[in-house]
Amino acid sequence: MPSLQHVVKDLLASGAVEVVIGYEKAPGQNRTRPFFARTPEDADRLVFDFSALNNLAVYLTRQKRPAKGKIGIVAKGCDARAITMLMQEQQLTRDDVHVIGMECSGVTAEMGADLSKDTLAAKCVTCKVQTPPLADTLVEGPKDYERPDDRNGARMRELEAMTPEQRFAFWAGEFDRCVRCYACRQACPMCYCEQCVAEKNQPQWIETSATLRGNIAWNVIRAFHLGGRCVGCNECERACPADIPLGLLNRKLGMVAGQEFGYAAGMDASAPTLVGTWDKSDRQEYIK
Amino acid sequence: MKIGVFICYCGENIGRTVDCAAVAQACASIPGVAVSVDYKYMCSDPGQNLIINAIREHRLDGVVVGSCSPHMHEKTFRKACSNAGLNPFMFEMANLREHCSWIHDDIAVGTAKSIDLVRIAVEKVKRNEPLTPIRVPVTKRALVIGGGISGIQAALDIAGAGFQVVLVEKEPSIGGHMSQLSETFPTLDCSQCILTPRMVEVYQHPNITLMSYSEVEKVEGFIGNFSVTIRRKARSVRADLCTGCGDCVQKCPIKKKAYSEFEEGLAFRPAMYVPFPQAVPNIPVIDRAVCTYYKTGKCQACVKACGRGAIDFEQQDEFVTEAVGAIVVATGYKLYTIDKKPDDSQYKGYGEYGYGVYKDVIDGLQFERLASASGPTGGEIRRPSDKAVPKKIVFIQCVGSRDESKGFSYCSKICCMYTAKHAMLYKHKVHEGEAYVFYMDIRSGGKGYEEFVRRAIEEDHVKYIRGRVSRIYEKDGKYIVRGEDTIAGMQVEIDADMVVLATAMVPQPESAVLAQKLGIAYDNHGYFVEVHPKLRPVECSTGGIFLAGACHSPRDIPESVSMASAAAAKALVLFGSDVLEREPVVAKVNESTCAGCFYCQKVCAYNAVERREIRDRAGNLRKVVAYVNEGLCQGCGTCNATCPSKSVELIGFTDEQLYAEIHALA
Repeated sequence: MPSLQHVVKDLLASGAVEVVIGYEKAPGQNRTRPFFARTPEDADRLVFDFSALNNLAVYLTRQKRPAKGKIGIVAKGCDARAITMLMQEQQLTRDDVHVIGMECSGVTAEMGADLSKDTLAAKCVTCKVQTPPLADTLVEGPKDYERPDDRNGARMRELEAMTPEQRFAFWAGEFDRCVRCYACRQACPMCYCEQCVAEKNQPQWIETSATLRGNIAWNVIRAFHLGGRCVGCNECERACPADIPLGLLNRKLGMVAGQEFGYAAGMDASAPTLVGTWDKSDRQEYIK
Repeated sequence: MKIGVFICYCGENIGRTVDCAAVAQACASIPGVAVSVDYKYMCSDPGQNLIINAIREHRLDGVVVGSCSPHMHEKTFRKACSNAGLNPFMFEMANLREHCSWIHDDIAVGTAKSIDLVRIAVEKVKRNEPLTPIRVPVTKRALVIGGGISGIQAALDIAGAGFQVVLVEKEPSIGGHMSQLSETFPTLDCSQCILTPRMVEVYQHPNITLMSYSEVEKVEGFIGNFSVTIRRKARSVRADLCTGCGDCVQKCPIKKKAYSEFEEGLAFRPAMYVPFPQAVPNIPVIDRAVCTYYKTGKCQACVKACGRGAIDFEQQDEFVTEAVGAIVVATGYKLYTIDKKPDDSQYKGYGEYGYGVYKDVIDGLQFERLASASGPTGGEIRRPSDKAVPKKIVFIQCVGSRDESKGFSYCSKICCMYTAKHAMLYKHKVHEGEAYVFYMDIRSGGKGYEEFVRRAIEEDHVKYIRGRVSRIYEKDGKYIVRGEDTIAGMQVEIDADMVVLATAMVPQPESAVLAQKLGIAYDNHGYFVEVHPKLRPVECSTGGIFLAGACHSPRDIPESVSMASAAAAKALVLFGSDVLEREPVVAKVNESTCAGCFYCQKVCAYNAVERREIRDRAGNLRKVVAYVNEGLCQGCGTCNATCPSKSVELIGFTDEQLYAEIHALA
């Protein structure tokens, strides 16, 4: 069973890839940071454990890619789903990447914390992809972990029980804190547009100042743009300095995609995308 | 910018509920408006001159006419603008009639709304840009799909006008259903006698390339510029060597394993066969499903019989690509076969009428073969089971037609006439026989049609019973037809020797697949759909594709032929010019912001979105972006709405223009 470092060393030494995107130890306890390994020696710096929280697939989007040639990437299940989705949306071809799939037993919600039932990231609570659905090389590892109650699931049911007015008031309260830093967009592997609709100013569809109206427009449009595409890596919520529970919004849209169309984003690179694909068997009762 | 506003009264149409003079006066103060006038009929010559003179006098660079809908007079006013030297796309229309006067009673409401509608149009015209129509070259060649009478007629008409035609027919011979018919209503001409000269003409025509036993595989391109891939199915006989002598057919030992499609299952045909004696082209085909050679590799009787060495067991399907500018679709019909399962027998199923169970319950096309001199009985009416001449025959109309519970909502249109013809032919051939017809209504609209039906009833004494048949069952060698006579108000039972069902016409089963290849619309039955049922009855919504015959709706021969000639005429109109001019209202991709997700490509109904590689100066691929083929784009704007980064604009309806229009109301 080859280790991550061995796999990467071979890939870089043989010239199969130009760079491997992975994690290295960062200063402080239980912290990692993204690292681009470009030489076989760099491979020794790579680590993977419960603190490997980032979704590195964001570095595969065209404008952030660290190399022109083939890229290796260390990917947990959720990261691999994002890579798959990028393939489904023609942002990557299968030959552009060598995916080093990491079996995963959950990551911590906060950098620095030890992994426990209480610190487990929200996305890991309901995660079904401990083994990545897409991998050129699979690095086996522990896959079992203790899962706490689905706190967000309970919260979702509370929101669903609200009247539309109450729900709108809830989200208006959350979005009111948004400072329009666009960290959510920068962290998101699915936000690869070269010019975001938020930056379009002829005409300007979304108010750019951090006022409630523009904030609602921005966050709702972003959520809709992720409908049927979000793989649930929750990087947006993690990056948000205002603690807006964006993951809830995305999870709800993902649930609708699953319930209405039996669709889960990023599970199969050859599957059609949910949006933009018409099927005769689509339920159409919303067309009145 | 200097904009002219012209408010039309449309006689009373607008003037009744809109104070046009007040609208013109109010609009004069909209920023950018240099002149604002009203007139009784803006579309009239003096009205147009008002516009033309104002453009010249005030040097206008934008025009807004507040009148009827663009469907009515957009062309008129654009032309007036260009006559005055203004780019016609610097003109906008405010619909004060359909969108305002016709739907309001209150003059104050109508007037205020009209001012708003004009203001919206003024804001749009301020952001308009001069556009030039898109010009695309025309390939002056046509493809005709289907070699029945419709396809034959369309091909001959186009070829006769001096243009090349490729005629594709999926069966081994052209001729279609008309070649199977005995005689035709209302004149009782022999069908083959009038058809076969046309078939030969097709074969001999220097402008027609006939591709029989071929099917359309793929269609790419757009009006004037289609590229069609055609699958030429392997006949197992080399067409370049075969002389059509028929020796191989004679020698084929597999005589009774396959039912003849041409004889509608009433006779067998060999594994090596020509569908019928007058087939065009007269080149046989090997049915590989039943041929002994393809099963065991043993028999080579046809190879021995053929003096030309034309048999080629190894022949493969070939693909050829043809460049054409217009396509005529003439794929015709089939008869509805409720529960008729062809697996082990041609006769099985059909519920209470015993169709497929009772050998002597047949459909209309089978009766045609029995009545045809070239048919399996040599033209004598003999029932399939024991070859006896039926003394009592029952015809049942509307089997599947006009019957939503078991079949289709529509009327198959031809059955009333062919049933009258069948009954008449029967009476002519079996003088002492009795013919009954069960009908719902007799629909005999058409030249000489009603007279024909009356002749059947009055001169040939066919007994017409108005009512439906509930059941047919066998008893003592007779078929008991139990039905209702709704005029007499009583149950009737007829002990018939044979029953003929006028089953509904349906489109060819693969019609939906073909429609998808062609990108044309089809209805829930699979019939192809025209753009406008009255004014554009043979044109598809996809430009350059025309419809002929029963693939569009149930039609008889004269109607199919007229439609085919109409479709041919439409193709010839297209071929009348070297280049096509199209509205420049097409989508355009901003390549610098396009991220290449190709959602636009997925949602495009016209296959107009293509991929274009963007390379840097060194030739390295930078990205792949969407690119809109102007020839294919119909300007629907779906891509525009789908693009997440708003990198697609619809020229003439840009986001900026629409935003300004909405903003004008705020």
